[in-house]
Amino acid sequence: MIKFTFYLFSLILIFASVRVVTVKNPVHAALFLVLAFFSSAAIWLLLQAEFLAIALVLVYVGAVMVLFLFVVMMLEINFSQLREGFVRNLPVAGLVGALILLEMVFVVGAWQNVPPPVATEIPNIVALGQVLYTDYFYPFEIAAALLLVAMIAAIALTMRPHNRAKYQKPDQQVSVNREDYVRIVNIPSEAKD
Amino acid sequence: MQDTLLTIVLAPLIGAIIAGLLPVSRRIAHSVTIGAVGLAFFLSAYVFYQIIFAGHAIYNETLYTWLVAGNVRLEVGFMIDSLTAVMMLVVTFVSWMVHIYTIGYMHDDPGYNRFFSYISLFTFSMLMLVMSNNFVQLFFGWEAVGLVSYLLIGFWYTRDTAIYANLKAFLVNRVGDFGFALGIAAVLMAFNSLNYGEVFGLAQAGEYKQTISIFAGHEWSMITVMCILLFVGAMGKSAQFPLHVWLPDSMEGPTPISALIHAATMVTAGIFMVARMSPLFELSTTALSFVMVVGAITAFFMGLLGLVQHDIKRVVAYSTLSQLGYMTVALGASAYTAGIFHLMTHAFFKALLFLGAGSVIIAMHHEQDMRKMGGLKKYMPITYWTMLIGSLALIGVPGMSGFFSKDAIIEAVHHAYDADRAGAWFAYYSVLFGVFITALYTFRMFFLTFHGKERMDEHTKEHLHETPWVVTGPLIALAIPSIFIGMFTIGPMLFGGYFSDSIFVAAAHNPFDPEHYHGFISFMLHGLIQPPVWLAAAGVGVAYFLYMKRPELPEIIAKRSGIVYKILVEKYYFDRFNDWFFAGGTRKVGTFMWQFGDVRFIDGFINGMADLIDWFAGVFRKVQTGFLYHYAFAMLIGLAVMLGAFVY
Amino acid sequence: MTIANLNIAWLLPEILILTMACVILVIDAYLPKQLRNLTYHLTQGTLLGAALLIIAANPMQPILAMNDMVIIDAMSVVLKLFIVLIVFFTFIYSREYLQDRKIFKGEYFVLGLFATLGMLIMVSAHNLLMVFLGLELLSLSLYAMIAMNRDSKVATEAAMKYFVLGALASGMLLYGMSMLYGITATLDLTKLSQSVSEISNDRIVISSVNQLISETEEVELAIKNVEKHVTTITNSPIATKIAEIIEANIETDAMVIIKPMLASSSQNYTILVFGLVFIVIGVAFKLGAVPFHSWIPDVYHGSPTSMTLFVASAPKIAAFAMVIRMLVDGMQTLHTDWQGMLILLSILSIIVGNIIAIAQQNIKRMLAYSTIAHVGYLLLGIIAANADGYAASMFYVVVYTIMTLGAFGMIILLSRTGFEADKIEDFKGLNERNPWYAMIMLIIMLSMAGVPPMVGFWAKWAVLAQVINAGFVWLAVLAVLFAVIGAFYYLRIVKLMYFDKPTSLVPIEAGVDMRFALSANALIVLLLGLMPNTLMAICLGAWGISV
Repeated sequence: MIKFTFYLFSLILIFASVRVVTVKNPVHAALFLVLAFFSSAAIWLLLQAEFLAIALVLVYVGAVMVLFLFVVMMLEINFSQLREGFVRNLPVAGLVGALILLEMVFVVGAWQNVPPPVATEIPNIVALGQVLYTDYFYPFEIAAALLLVAMIAAIALTMRPHNRAKYQKPDQQVSVNREDYVRIVNIPSEAKD
Repeated sequence: MQDTLLTIVLAPLIGAIIAGLLPVSRRIAHSVTIGAVGLAFFLSAYVFYQIIFAGHAIYNETLYTWLVAGNVRLEVGFMIDSLTAVMMLVVTFVSWMVHIYTIGYMHDDPGYNRFFSYISLFTFSMLMLVMSNNFVQLFFGWEAVGLVSYLLIGFWYTRDTAIYANLKAFLVNRVGDFGFALGIAAVLMAFNSLNYGEVFGLAQAGEYKQTISIFAGHEWSMITVMCILLFVGAMGKSAQFPLHVWLPDSMEGPTPISALIHAATMVTAGIFMVARMSPLFELSTTALSFVMVVGAITAFFMGLLGLVQHDIKRVVAYSTLSQLGYMTVALGASAYTAGIFHLMTHAFFKALLFLGAGSVIIAMHHEQDMRKMGGLKKYMPITYWTMLIGSLALIGVPGMSGFFSKDAIIEAVHHAYDADRAGAWFAYYSVLFGVFITALYTFRMFFLTFHGKERMDEHTKEHLHETPWVVTGPLIALAIPSIFIGMFTIGPMLFGGYFSDSIFVAAAHNPFDPEHYHGFISFMLHGLIQPPVWLAAAGVGVAYFLYMKRPELPEIIAKRSGIVYKILVEKYYFDRFNDWFFAGGTRKVGTFMWQFGDVRFIDGFINGMADLIDWFAGVFRKVQTGFLYHYAFAMLIGLAVMLGAFVY
Repeated sequence: MTIANLNIAWLLPEILILTMACVILVIDAYLPKQLRNLTYHLTQGTLLGAALLIIAANPMQPILAMNDMVIIDAMSVVLKLFIVLIVFFTFIYSREYLQDRKIFKGEYFVLGLFATLGMLIMVSAHNLLMVFLGLELLSLSLYAMIAMNRDSKVATEAAMKYFVLGALASGMLLYGMSMLYGITATLDLTKLSQSVSEISNDRIVISSVNQLISETEEVELAIKNVEKHVTTITNSPIATKIAEIIEANIETDAMVIIKPMLASSSQNYTILVFGLVFIVIGVAFKLGAVPFHSWIPDVYHGSPTSMTLFVASAPKIAAFAMVIRMLVDGMQTLHTDWQGMLILLSILSIIVGNIIAIAQQNIKRMLAYSTIAHVGYLLLGIIAANADGYAASMFYVVVYTIMTLGAFGMIILLSRTGFEADKIEDFKGLNERNPWYAMIMLIIMLSMAGVPPMVGFWAKWAVLAQVINAGFVWLAVLAVLFAVIGAFYYLRIVKLMYFDKPTSLVPIEAGVDMRFALSANALIVLLLGLMPNTLMAICLGAWGISV
């Protein structure tokens, strides 16, 4: 049963990945990527890594892919122009890709004594929690710093302090004084008599 | 003694430095150098007295070790024995005379200081050579005199002929020096030492490497090879056939140096060296025969050339060559003492002849062609009489110094002939007929210059007068020993064992038996009945006939002899051959190396490399296309390659 | 684990930098434009404080902190100190440059501090995860800093390329790390090293046991031979296992169990090397070795020069530290494998770097290719695979960083508002314009070419000596050959400065601090060249080799 599930999801994963690269419409490509992530999550569940599977879906699909889709739909990128070299480059790229695949299959495929997953009673997330703030405290802090850097980068690169949007400031409008804006000047008239 | 010797050597050097490198006036330049060389002369006389008369032991000390590399020791040291003492005396005396003479001869020359510096430097070099106690210092002195003679021959360096001459002298000497260096190497190889004392000691004891194989398989006698190589050096320095070609051209230099270097001192370095190496030469009769034959060829054939020269200095030059041949023949006949004896007497009368010729040249406003002279007797009496004395000494008139030395040589060769030394028959007849030739050319020169019709032009005739005392003084000073030194020194030198501490002669070879010597008067009388004197008289007679009585004859004879005359005029075609083959050939090789080897091959290669790399750079930089996917692709290819290479 | 176990005190430099980075960030947000210099000064103060703390936290023995995540040893102290000082100098050079181009933002310094933090983490890392985190922290900060001049297309393009390729490389690095984890089940470097050496030993045992088994047909004799053999071996788990199996079973049974075990265990080593390849690629990218160097020319060229300066200098030290931590601390036993890989990378880098630099007209690009070549030389020392070699490489990287600092500093010096002095022609006739600066550039260029008595010569000499000692004479010959070829582009600059007429005679203006720092920089290069022993002793001492 497990075997069948594994093969099913693997096939879907492979199919989805290939379609991400080959499909013309960028929105379709993003959606196929979502499918690929879901299939990976399923396989991880089979490996009893339930936390990682959920995290994958939440983070990748929920955050990253949503962002991708936003960008793809908002920016009018001329994808056809970007995909011009596809067929031209396909043979060489295919060859190299196949070569790397072959090498990896030879190495990883022959790997026989894979240690079986450790059977425990503690659910994944509890186990993670136990070490995350204790043994892995330092990496955790640094990861936090990393996130901070990402934020700083985002703001530094995109924020333009001078908002071009014109808006009204009602509090200032209301607090206007006649004395500040009007001045009576006595100008003698230019009468000809 | 050590300080005296150092002063003798260093005084001329310091004089040379002061005159040459410091901006001093002419007076100071010539005063310092003359003073220095004069000092050297007096001290040499003192040393001579000490060694010969006061019974001072032979001085053989090493003063300074410059370098030790394995068994090669490079040292500075002096060995003063009877031979050295004689040489020192001759060198310093003649040098001193020449220094004084130069004041007059070079009076108008802009290079005055430079000349004095050079001749002092030469004196230093020559002294280092003769006073040396090891082969290395000998070589140093050898090379140094070669260098200074190059500087002096080309003294008037703006003249093309002078440059040609000094290059020729240097290059020909180099050939000889090459052989000499090989000879020194052979000495080192055979004896493992370069010190005279050690080498001679081992030679006498027979403890040395006996054979040497030069070309695979063939074993040669070490001593023979060594001596012949050393003699090659002497051939270069002392202008023996065929390395004689430089000497006549060296007359391009000012006359004082012809006197100093090419008559009295440098050319005798070769003779001195062979005499000094007598313990070695005596061990190889082959080498001795070689020496004798070469000397004989030089003596006779060079003399013949003196007959066809028109330049007064050239005649004297060829005469020098011929006399050097005589000295060499003496050496080859194991008569080293006679060779040195002739060297000494020759120094005096040849220097005299050269300086006399110089005096004539000054008076003739630097005209050197004898065909434009004649009848100078009445204008220049002092020069005339001193030249006469010199000429008589040269041809060997009994009583004059030249007679004693020349006849001694001829006797020695006769003795070798009797002893069946190889080649001695050739040497004997050469030196004998050489006497006739010598007399002929000498008096040809004499009659043409001082007697007969006055062939100079009016202008010169008006200004003709005797030269100043600074010129004639040395002439007189040299004339005196030219007459007397022979008769008084022959006894002790040749028969009295004077050189017994310095020259070694194997008993079987010795041509001079003290038993047969009965004093110089009887030697003179004995000589009167020997062929040489008659031949000399015949020579004078023929010269008188051809140049005084029937002066039109020489030209007719010249025309009639046709090809023989041509060969003589062309100096046996040696110069032409050397110019064409050696000089021309070397230039061609050099040009080829330059054009092909350097320009095309090396430069092309190097520049080509640089261009190639530049081309590569231009090509490679295009790999950086700017496209991101190309970069990523490159990384993936790198991954694939590394996986393939290293995981498998 | 207790708080004391964490050894937090040893991490004070990093703590200081992190804290101050946050503080400065906040302060900067409220500063009016005119007072922006305060940010700069606070940053410099932080760096100096960190330097002092690093010197103070200099242990006698290597200390593990934060649950074995961090190691403080002699090498980490030396490298951290140099990183902090180099960044200090970088900021000095950058200040006016940034002000002229109106990108003098507070975020620049904050990101710079974070990058420094990332570098310090990489240097002290004792866990594969820490290496990765430090790398990412550094890289992310760099990407942002490069792109900061957002109105410049070239800069944005450079940042993009760096980012994408960097992500690819990080991915590969992580993949390799996961492979390693898969085989050894640990991320800790000490345990990793232990495990790796065990697997190496296993491999030898396996091949010898296979040999013994194949020698004879008789099972009993074979088992006896194998038993005799394995009982003599220590530090090999499989040997112990085989011994146990043989004890517990009769011969034929034992053979049946042993054979498949041998077959499967021999895979472990292959996977290990497989993972090693990916790790080396990740490292090679950061260093800039061919063929993973593609980002360097474009990034160096496109970024504003002050960013290029930052990218080119201190991160190389951190990359070197990364190499040492992972390949040496972690996998020293595999050195025969990674030696081969590094040789390939080194040769390609030396050749490609030196040759392409010749064709460059832009000096920043030229220096980029020269960096690639220098990385090739750097790797030579590591190839030697012994402590002397590592020390030589460390010397090289420190020296290289100082030289690069000076070179890019000179380019910054010559740039003005609206004018980038990044063409080679801009250096023409520098001697006429200002002989002092020309001399500074001369010293730096000669040092980079490896001309004595500048320190660059000693650096090259040190690595070449080590690589020859290790037996790779041909490699040294090749390196020297290309160093000669490469001397061209350095000497070209010298020639332009001294023998050509200047294209513009605008006087060169710079602040006092910059001039002073640049002169000090060049003088350090010269002084170190005349007296390299102190620095060399420090480097050797970092490896426990006393001079």
